[in-house]
Parts: sequence; C-alpha cells; structure tokens
Amino acid sequence: MGVLPSGLAEVISDDEDLARFLTSSSQFNAHMAKPASFLPNPQDRETSIFRHGNNPLDRLRAIGVEHVAGQRNLHGAAIFKARHVRAAQLDVTAAEPPPRHAAIRNWPWLENDPELQRAKQKEMAAVISSKAELVRL
Amino acid sequence: MQGYARESSAVSSEARVLRNAVNGVLKLAERSQVLFGDKAAAISQLRTIANECAEVGWDGYNASPIEWTSVRLAEEFIRAMPDDLPLPEFAPEPDGSVSLDWIQSRNRLFSLSMGMTNRLAYAWLDGSDKGHGVARFDGERIPTRVIEGITGIMNHGSAPIGAR
Repeated sequence: MGVLPSGLAEVISDDEDLARFLTSSSQFNAHMAKPASFLPNPQDRETSIFRHGNNPLDRLRAIGVEHVAGQRNLHGAAIFKARHVRAAQLDVTAAEPPPRHAAIRNWPWLENDPELQRAKQKEMAAVISSKAELVRL
Repeated sequence: MQGYARESSAVSSEARVLRNAVNGVLKLAERSQVLFGDKAAAISQLRTIANECAEVGWDGYNASPIEWTSVRLAEEFIRAMPDDLPLPEFAPEPDGSVSLDWIQSRNRLFSLSMGMTNRLAYAWLDGSDKGHGVARFDGERIPTRVIEGITGIMNHGSAPIGAR
C-alpha cells in the first residue's frame, strides 16, 4: 500500500475519521451538521474533506483554519467515518495536496435533470449527516 | 373591539351573538398575528443567511453565493405553507440553492432544495427508510407530496412519501 507525502496511507480505511469543516452557523443546529453541508461543489463535483478526527481538537482546528476557513469564522466540523460515505454509495479517496486532504466522489450527475440529480444527492448527503458527529471549534 | 368581547351585564340574545362574533374575530386576528410573526421571522432569518453567504467561497470550499432567485422562491414557499405545518430550518447549499430542513432527529428529517426553478428536489430519512423526489411548486400551493412528507416526519406518522 502506498504512502502519501503526509505520511498517511494512500487508501482510506473504512474506520478512518474524516472532517468536513463548517464556516456558517446555518450549516448545523444544536444536534447535527445539516445534510446541505455535505453536498458536492458543482465545479469539481466533489465534497472536500480532511482526514482527521476530533482528537486532538487543536490540531483539527488548525487544519480547518489553515486550509478552509482562513479569515472566516470556523464554527465546527462534522466528523464521520469513511464507511459512512461508502454506505451512502459514494467513494472517498485521498486528494493531496494539501496534506490530509481527501474528497467524497462519485456523486450522481444528471445533465438533463438537475433537480432529480439534486434530490439523489440530498438523500446521500442526509445519510452521511445522520452518522456524523458535530464538533464545535 | 376588546370592550365588546368582554363579559358584561348585557344579556340580550343580540348582545350575546355580537360578543361571540367579536370573540371569534379577535381569536382569528391573534392567531394570524402569531403566524405572520413566525413566518416573518423565518423569512428574516432566510435573508440573513443569504447575506452571510453572498460571496463566492463563503464555505471555504469555493461554494457559489446564495442566489436571490432561490431566496425569493423560498419566501414564496414559506408564505404558502399551511398554518399547521412547522416552519423549517435553513441551510445554504454550495451551488447557490437554499435548503429548507425539517429535522425531528438525525435519523428523521425532510430536506427540500430551493434552486433556480420551480421544480423542488427533496429527500428524507425515516429511520432505516429513505428516499428522494422532485415536486413542482406553483408559487401558491405546496405540493401534496411535500406536505405529507413533512407531516410524516415531524408528526412521527407513517404517511408514505412518493418518490418521482
């Protein structure tokens, strides 16, 4: 198995923790990260994530500030396992650089019916959000 | 008008009918005020989110700004909602759409997208059951499937949600 510049394995194991950083307070409520926070960006058709759990928290926060939030508020992160992504019939693969970066891929894309495409994506995003732990940063 | 609604020594049948009628009008007015207030607050919250997410990359991942067409559609939807339907939470989506979410728990939720057209994408989780669909919104009446879906999730009912 290959090793990436970050020192992480090239292949993401099912039990690996993944983080999706949240920069808007409307992306979550008191209990969970909302499904919309996992939807793919339409430009690259991927959901950008980082390979890190909630421990240690200061390292998670540092990754979020350096690579995602910048000058924006970093409110928190949704932490979930790679197997939760795969259970939603999606792929999760390493995508360095930056270090520890990964992406949720294989979202359904229907050029002739964008609303049905969005409905399918929302269902998958809801499956992931139902398993994710909300961590406030 | 409250003066007419209060109990008084007037005991004629006409006075009683008048008092009951006034009471009815007052109750309706109070209910409308409460409902209007809730919907107005929801729309205000929606506009706040749209302003917060008005620039490219608001999420740190290069998301598109919230589209005002989506916001206007969401406002129409809120105004058209039946009074007994709970109001949603809002969330920005990375393509500029707005998500309206009814969340009972992390495993029981109904999520609806307001995009650039009147075809609304929705999905739901109900325990181990899940699904998705598309419904057309004419700007005035909420699609029956959507109402049943929200009601089924929020009332712990078993209303089937038809996928399309």
